[in-house]
Amino acid sequence: MDTPRDEKLAADLRALRPTPRPEFAAELDERAAAGFPRRSRWPQLAWQMPSPRRMLIPAGGIAVVAIALVTTVVAINEGGGGSSSEVPRSLFQADKSTSAPEAAKPSTQYNGATEEIERSAASAGGASSAGAAAEVEVKPFSQEIRPRLDRRAVERNAELVLGAAPADVADDASKVFEAVHAHDGIVMRSSTREGEPGVAGARFELLIPSAKLSDALAALSAIDEVRSRHEATDDITAPTVQTGELLQDSKARIDSLLAQLEAAESESERETVEEELAAERRHRARLRAQLQNLERRADYSRVLVRIETGASHDSSGGGAWGIDDALGDAGHILAVAAAVALVALAVLGPIALVALLAWLTHRAWVRRERRRVLS
Amino acid sequence: MEQALVAEAKDAPRAGDLAFDRLYRSSRDDVYAYVGSLLRNDAAAEEVTAAAFERAYRKRNRFDPERGEPRAWLFGIARNAALDELRRRGRQAELTAEPADLDSFGAEEGAEHSERRLAVSAALERLAPGERELIALKFFAGLENREIARVLGISESNTGTKLHRAMTKLREACDGHA
Repeated sequence: MDTPRDEKLAADLRALRPTPRPEFAAELDERAAAGFPRRSRWPQLAWQMPSPRRMLIPAGGIAVVAIALVTTVVAINEGGGGSSSEVPRSLFQADKSTSAPEAAKPSTQYNGATEEIERSAASAGGASSAGAAAEVEVKPFSQEIRPRLDRRAVERNAELVLGAAPADVADDASKVFEAVHAHDGIVMRSSTREGEPGVAGARFELLIPSAKLSDALAALSAIDEVRSRHEATDDITAPTVQTGELLQDSKARIDSLLAQLEAAESESERETVEEELAAERRHRARLRAQLQNLERRADYSRVLVRIETGASHDSSGGGAWGIDDALGDAGHILAVAAAVALVALAVLGPIALVALLAWLTHRAWVRRERRRVLS
Repeated sequence: MEQALVAEAKDAPRAGDLAFDRLYRSSRDDVYAYVGSLLRNDAAAEEVTAAAFERAYRKRNRFDPERGEPRAWLFGIARNAALDELRRRGRQAELTAEPADLDSFGAEEGAEHSERRLAVSAALERLAPGERELIALKFFAGLENREIARVLGISESNTGTKLHRAMTKLREACDGHA
């Protein structure tokens, strides 16, 4: 393009250069001055669908909020507070292995009642086979008994661990007594130890009227810092009803024996009936004691209160919340957040990969099409 | 100089706006000329020119001066917009080519000039679309070879070679027409 001919050709080409209409140029200048306001063939659609880059920020924000929300929910469900209420199947489970054999009483009493019922049923019915015993065991659930279940007998038990400073143990112990008396309860056993943190403490075995258990636990929990609280229930309706029925049967048998005694004609016959009568009366006394025990278990709840000093042994929480707890909680929350993020990544990763592949494919296709247009 | 002006866009939004405004003022007619030569339709050329500037304005903060001159960047956007428009219409530029306006060649310059330019216009029509685009970028848009190379994604030397071939073809076509 150095020759005069080339320069002439170049000049001719420049002369062929398309020029914009003045109206269009003015309009474009106006739009440029206004910062090129968005102009779309479909204004509503453009408003509804921001660019993918702009959608990235709110999408990221939503993802972070969702992860934080799930993390919070999971952490709350997993963690639980020191004062939260749990309902273990077996009461005083932790205490059984340590120093409270009474804690196992409810179950042994129940088993004892069942054994007694089996024995009584077998002897009363005159049948000694296992089938008879099995029949008696099924009896409480039969339709014959069901109408008599007008009131359910539920045994309630609770264990409460309070944390206190060694100097406060005595004061807290007196408050326990006050709370028990205020709710018409009974202190069955109590012990208090003084000394260094971890040594000083107190232990109370209480009987609280079941109707007032919730109020009593609230009052006891207010005495000091609650480190743990467990509550459990055990439905003892079936053994109560069974024992009541056996008691009635025994009374009927005694009445029958008394009638036989009156009608006895010989001395030997009278002696035999009297022996049977004495045995039946002993049996009836046992049943009555058993029923009273069951009713007392339903009417009164066993509550074990322990006042501990020193650091909490419960790793699940409770105690004075300090730096270690904070670090532990932070670590736990981070672990949960990482787990949630990992799950989210596992779900969103493949989707993002597919989207990325689709975007790359689309981009390559667009480039190819653009090349093809001018080919 | 323009590169420095657009580079300011990274430092301050207001300075960036001013730099873009300068780029717009210096390139408006060039972009229209290039796009118009590709689309061969005034209405479409106006639409695509406006869309190209709008797109460039939205992306002005993403411009990287290290990757080329601002004019090359702007023409790259305009090129994509024009090719997308051609794709969208699903037809080649030739199909919509508007007839050359003889009056626009300047009757006052004389019949010889008009005839020659008509011959050049006809020869330009006979070129392949890619060659015509090269001519448009060089003589309509006034880009340097390195800028053309950046727009088309080819080397500068390859651009020079292709441009030389296109000019040779054009000249031969003009001679043949004459």
